[in-house]
Amino acid sequence: MANLQDYVDQHISVITNDGRVIIGVLKGYDQATNIILEHSVERIFRPTEGVESSELGLHIIRGDNIAIVGQIDVEEDESIDWSLVQANPILPVNYNLK
Amino acid sequence: MLPLSLLNASKGRPMQVELKNGETYNGHLVNCDPWMNISLQKDGETFYSLEECYIRGSSIKYLRIQDDVIDNVKEESQRNKNQMRNRNNMRGRGRGRNSNRGRGANNNIRS
Repeated sequence: MANLQDYVDQHISVITNDGRVIIGVLKGYDQATNIILEHSVERIFRPTEGVESSELGLHIIRGDNIAIVGQIDVEEDESIDWSLVQANPILPVNYNLK
Repeated sequence: MLPLSLLNASKGRPMQVELKNGETYNGHLVNCDPWMNISLQKDGETFYSLEECYIRGSSIKYLRIQDDVIDNVKEESQRNKNQMRNRNNMRGRGRGRNSNRGRGANNNIRS
């Protein structure tokens, strides 16, 4: 499947080029992978504290800035107590690898 | 639903734009185009205030829009669908209602 159509109206997780993790419901997309996310929440990971969830609402994320889109298993996701999860944030995409 | 139709539907609404360099702009959306170029107009007196600005689409990271805008897009696309349906019903009325359309002179007359 090289198509986002199957994810429409599903919960997805978007990882952006600057290393942010944004969860939301996919409402639309286009050829350039621009994405509409409804009810979106950013999960901010920190090495010494639990995950902070920041409500962002309705978003259009530009395709240029998207690294990964993945489907979320809502049940499994809800079974995780994110306030106990400590992790380093994801690094931004690096274009200068040799 | 296409992201650009949502953007179109949010004309006149306040939004927050984050650029790739991390700067953010707040304002009412005045206009947008298929390249996601947008122009914003001042929205209150907060922060450093420009009256108006134009942002090139390619420099945008994301747009944050009010939650209810998406409902307007749904209504609009429904309306478009209805219009298309009406247009389809009208199809095929343009030509060829009489036989012998565009065939030149009546062949029977030729001796």
